[in-house]
Amino acid sequence: MADNYINLDDLNMSQEELFAPVKWDELESEKITAPRYSYWHSVFRVFFRKKINAVILILLAAILVFTYVYPIAIGYDSEVDPYINLLNSDTKHLGPAAAMEKFGTNLHWILGSGASGESTFDAVWYGASISVSLALICALINMTIGILVGAVWGFSKKIDMFMTEVYNIVANVPYILLISVVVLIMSASFWSMVFALTVTGWLGIAYFIRTQVIIIRDREYNLASRCLGTPILRIATKNILPFMTSVIVTIAATEIPSYISYEVFLSYIGMGLSDMSLGKLIESAQGAMVTPGWGFEFWSPVAVASIITVVLYVVGQNLGDASDPRTHM
Amino acid sequence: MTKYLLKRILRGLISVGIVVGVVMVLIYSCLDRTLIFANDPNYNKQKSNTKNIYQMQQWEKYGYVDYVPYADYLTELLKNGEIDEATYKKVVRIADTPERDSDMAQEYIEKFTEAYKNKGYEVVRLNAEKMGNRYKDGGKPRLYAYRNIPLVNRLGAYLSNLITIDNIHYVKEDIENRGIQFTFFDPVYGGKKFSPAIMGNGTEHKYLLYFDGNFPYIHQNLINFHLGTSYTGRQGVDVVNILGDSQGSYVYSSVTYPTGLVAESADDLHTATYVAGSLENGNAIIKRSFVDDYTNVGTHKNGLSKTGYSFTIGIISVLMSYLIAIPLGITMALKKDKLVDKLGTVYIVFIIAVPSLAYIFLFKSLGGKAGLPTTFDMENPIWLMYVLPIVSLALPAIANLMKWLRRYMIDQMNADYVKFARSGGLSEGEIFSKHILKNAIIPIVHGIPASMLGAMTGAIITERVYVVPGAGNLLTTSINSYDNGAIVGVTLFYALLSVVSVILGDVLMSMMDPRISFVTKER
Repeated sequence: MADNYINLDDLNMSQEELFAPVKWDELESEKITAPRYSYWHSVFRVFFRKKINAVILILLAAILVFTYVYPIAIGYDSEVDPYINLLNSDTKHLGPAAAMEKFGTNLHWILGSGASGESTFDAVWYGASISVSLALICALINMTIGILVGAVWGFSKKIDMFMTEVYNIVANVPYILLISVVVLIMSASFWSMVFALTVTGWLGIAYFIRTQVIIIRDREYNLASRCLGTPILRIATKNILPFMTSVIVTIAATEIPSYISYEVFLSYIGMGLSDMSLGKLIESAQGAMVTPGWGFEFWSPVAVASIITVVLYVVGQNLGDASDPRTHM
Repeated sequence: MTKYLLKRILRGLISVGIVVGVVMVLIYSCLDRTLIFANDPNYNKQKSNTKNIYQMQQWEKYGYVDYVPYADYLTELLKNGEIDEATYKKVVRIADTPERDSDMAQEYIEKFTEAYKNKGYEVVRLNAEKMGNRYKDGGKPRLYAYRNIPLVNRLGAYLSNLITIDNIHYVKEDIENRGIQFTFFDPVYGGKKFSPAIMGNGTEHKYLLYFDGNFPYIHQNLINFHLGTSYTGRQGVDVVNILGDSQGSYVYSSVTYPTGLVAESADDLHTATYVAGSLENGNAIIKRSFVDDYTNVGTHKNGLSKTGYSFTIGIISVLMSYLIAIPLGITMALKKDKLVDKLGTVYIVFIIAVPSLAYIFLFKSLGGKAGLPTTFDMENPIWLMYVLPIVSLALPAIANLMKWLRRYMIDQMNADYVKFARSGGLSEGEIFSKHILKNAIIPIVHGIPASMLGAMTGAIITERVYVVPGAGNLLTTSINSYDNGAIVGVTLFYALLSVVSVILGDVLMSMMDPRISFVTKER
């Protein structure tokens, strides 16, 4: 190892040249020389470290284009579908090959035609736009209310006693009953469905957040922070919220697909939307599942719903992993 | 611990009571009650005033209002001897409009109005609707009082009727030989076979305690549970019976009726209940078979009950899911980031993210291709028809258990005490079975009672897709048919199960892990 040392005499320098006094700078001494750490920068770095995530993001972008841009681009309207043909039974329940032979090779017909001669492909993506919007809006409302209430619920012991009892009661009221009552009172429109899914939906998220807050609230560093006189609000936003980011992203990852599934489920049991959402498409094409040759009508919305939920879930989970600061090393 | 448990149970019961109250508010107050006529063909046939009356009668039947026609009020007076037959006949007819009432009728109408207004009823008089000199179809004048049943009364009546103990003063009518008798030779079996039974007269049930050939062989009717009566589903039948009565086709056997008549019949005489005047007004068969008013009997059927089918399918899938998920979850945790773990994760993501409807349909079509029966047939039960419903229920349960067990195991594996144990020289096997698994399994144990009891409530989609005659769809069908009594009953049943399973889970957890204690120790 001796090779690594340099003999100062070999440099042929005077003492002044070798050692110059540095001016004492108080500001400079406070500077941290470690590389700058940016939270969101690290999140993206970790997220894209997995190659699969880039692929899935591209898939997600494609799905979003098809759900939101495609129906607008072709001017789709479920009421006045240009291909709906009630009289001509030749155009109904066609497989992709038969439909393309009849109408020409075209994007519209790669999934065949439906019960009234409409293009399954167009109908599925229009349905997806309704289902995905419903899921995103419900998740946004439930997450916002749930996180805010959950934070307060976790912090205050008095509120905790009260809210736990409320939770015990509301959690035992059958969700289906509540939804059907809301739908029957307000009609089965999009916004009444949003209301039905959010009127008590936030409670579960709030309960989850409350448990997390309670776990972190009494940790030593928070105790120390409180002893030093940090206001509660600052503890909540600066000490606890960063810890919760990954939890919150993970909840979002499970919540959004779960609303899509739930919408499909509600439509299937006859309590869903009146719009032609994915669930409604699946429900109305149920008979086609068992009829030989009509399978595409049924399996297309099922497959699209599954792909959307899986992609959203995987993106959310991986983003949740990446947003955990412990993975940033 | 006992004191703590009692407190928990009491608090649970109170919240169940509130849940029932909330549900009652939802279905009786929030819902538009005219909706029940939407699919009622009779309603549209009614015209003029009878339409209004029909509406009231239906609402009373569905439990929305308390409805008292003027004539009923007078009949009551007649019964109590306050008026005689002649007066009754004179005053029961009301005129087309209030101004044209006879003085006597007016007097009684005023009495009626006052009596019911004071009780908080709304009194409604519908004037005659005429076409020339004749009444329009259904246009006769009407007078009645009604009120919405207050929540407190409804809840009180419902809760106080939940558990009843049969007694010899149940029958209000005058009957002879009120009392309880004990016999060694049950008359149902011809009075020769040794089979002890306790029978009552004046009680609701004829047989209070008896033996028969069905599990658990000894049966009682002394303590009865009522969850509320169904209005539309199975009219007048209690939710307990809807859930618990066997289904399918009749099973005939030789039955000795009380008159001594022996016949091949499916009647289950042990379930006989009292219906006033049923012998006198009954048909020839009833007169030939019975000697008293205990004529309302159930029947022997070959199938299981709704809960029975749901529970059979549910419990097998629960057992299967624990048996499969625990070893798989452990393997995933031990082989973290290896192929097994990755495959398991793909499976978990598939089950969690894909809508359950989609994969149940997928299993159904795959199972159908493999030659498994895809629909349930009660008449020709074969074991294979249970396979697909069980698999459809077990697969998501397995995914869920695997996910959590893997998570808990990995969290434990990184804990400091494991490193300490390793440095202390314990073998990997020892660390694993004595430390990691023991700690990781505790949260899993907490869910066992919930999944076992949850098996009784059935599964909505699975039962619908495979046409299982189970309990899962009872709530949705009740909601769709505005069967308010059944909705309340089923909700109570679910709420009780969930409260009990949470408490049992806590008890089980504290038994598994001595560190967990729900009682604050005195220091």
